[in-house]
Amino acid sequence: MIRFDNVTKVYKGDVVALRDVSLEIAKGEFVFLVGPSGSGKSTFLRLLLRDETSTTGEILVAGRDIGRLGSWKVPQLRRNIGCVFQDYKLLPNKTVYENVAFALEVIGRPKSIVGSQVPQILDLVGLSKKATNFPTELSGGEQQRVSIARAFVNRPLILLADEPTGNLDPATTVGIMRLLDRINRTGTTVVMATHDQRIVDAMRRRVLELDHGQLVRDQARGVYGVGS
Amino acid sequence: MSRFAYFFRETLISLRRNLLMTLAGIMTVAISLFLFGGIVLLNRMVDHGTAKWKNGVQLEVFMRNTATQGQIDDMRQTLANTPTVKSFRFLDHNAAYTEFKRIFRDNPALVRNIAPGDLPTSYRVAPRRAQDTENLAVQFHARSGVDTVITAEREVRNMLTATRVIRYVFFTMAGVLLASSLFLIVNTIRLATFARRREIEVMKLVGASNWFVRVPFMAEGLVQGAIGAGISFGLVIVLKNVLTSLQTHKSVQGLFNGFYVTNGDALTIGFMVLLIGAGIGVLGSTIGLRRFLDT
Repeated sequence: MIRFDNVTKVYKGDVVALRDVSLEIAKGEFVFLVGPSGSGKSTFLRLLLRDETSTTGEILVAGRDIGRLGSWKVPQLRRNIGCVFQDYKLLPNKTVYENVAFALEVIGRPKSIVGSQVPQILDLVGLSKKATNFPTELSGGEQQRVSIARAFVNRPLILLADEPTGNLDPATTVGIMRLLDRINRTGTTVVMATHDQRIVDAMRRRVLELDHGQLVRDQARGVYGVGS
Repeated sequence: MSRFAYFFRETLISLRRNLLMTLAGIMTVAISLFLFGGIVLLNRMVDHGTAKWKNGVQLEVFMRNTATQGQIDDMRQTLANTPTVKSFRFLDHNAAYTEFKRIFRDNPALVRNIAPGDLPTSYRVAPRRAQDTENLAVQFHARSGVDTVITAEREVRNMLTATRVIRYVFFTMAGVLLASSLFLIVNTIRLATFARRREIEVMKLVGASNWFVRVPFMAEGLVQGAIGAGISFGLVIVLKNVLTSLQTHKSVQGLFNGFYVTNGDALTIGFMVLLIGAGIGVLGSTIGLRRFLDT
């Protein structure tokens, strides 16, 4: 599903964000991306979204070299990649329902699809009763559920999550992780960047560790830190 | 259909949110295009009024309607034998009538009441040197059968010089104003994208196509340019009617020297103005969008 071939990303001023990273993530895998701040996790995710292009090396998503995509094809790539962030990125002037529906409307899905998919996904994340609330009326955990609903409503092949539990307390975090696990079990590949040692250790999934832009560990059923 | 409704709604919302900026943009477009359209219209008028004075023609010898064919032929002989005359051309009744119909095509009642025979025949004369004009006029006026001689008077010359200066001044002003209306539209679109940067971010994140993100903003710029141009279109038509009403007070002889504009002139200029306005709107929004929507 995702393949990095000797990917290096150098920013202006010779800052090396990723150094010769090669790896492969199969369809349906759940992968944790760990490492200290500045280790290259965010760059990794941005490259996958084609927010940026690699300096050298190839990145393949579903068999296609995304570095060669014309800019008019980037939206098509992003329709196949759902994305969740630490700060939720919800639109404050839209209700929960509208926030999720927005993701379908702006890619031109017909009203009938929007009308059937949105309630279904809100049910999946457990927010059917809050459909008409605004984001500011929700708790952090609920807002993140809306964000996940929005990322998943178009049934993408891949779900990227950048510190999705970074702002949440441990109890709420467990709920979010259950939700991501459930989405993963529908066959969606999940890549989650995190600092949260407890969830990595509890879930025992594949762990990719980055340090100073280099892939220093690729461990199946791994833990957050070596020896911990 | 729902997509069209979406674009329409988003454009309206955005225009309303930046109402003052939008109005400023519309007004600058309107004023600059009216200046531009107005000066082109005046240009057309001067062109019409001075059309007969092209190719070195400096004077026109009108024959009496009662002039005999012999007198007309005599005049031709005189012109051919005058060394200071470079060239000349005879306009018979039909040629005069054709020209008359062209000038007064907006006034069919007048055209109906005039027959070709009512209009005088004439010779249009180009002297070798412009300074001979006055002498020739006096000389020809004395010939039998000649009604009157009109010359491309100094006033016309002066007017051509004056309009040339005015033309440059106004075109420059119109250009500066057009540029500033372009900047205003660019700025309005930048504000609009900034106000909606969160939505744009989410749209790009979930894979909205570039055009889908762009169209509401393009439409916003287009609407501003088009409304401004629409106002100046109206003003150009009003100006045309004012000029025409000034013209109809003149005498028939004056009509022949007539500086006139037709509905066709006004409409052509109006559509030119509309096109420029719409073009400025689209160009402005394209520039305004560049910063935010580069992927």
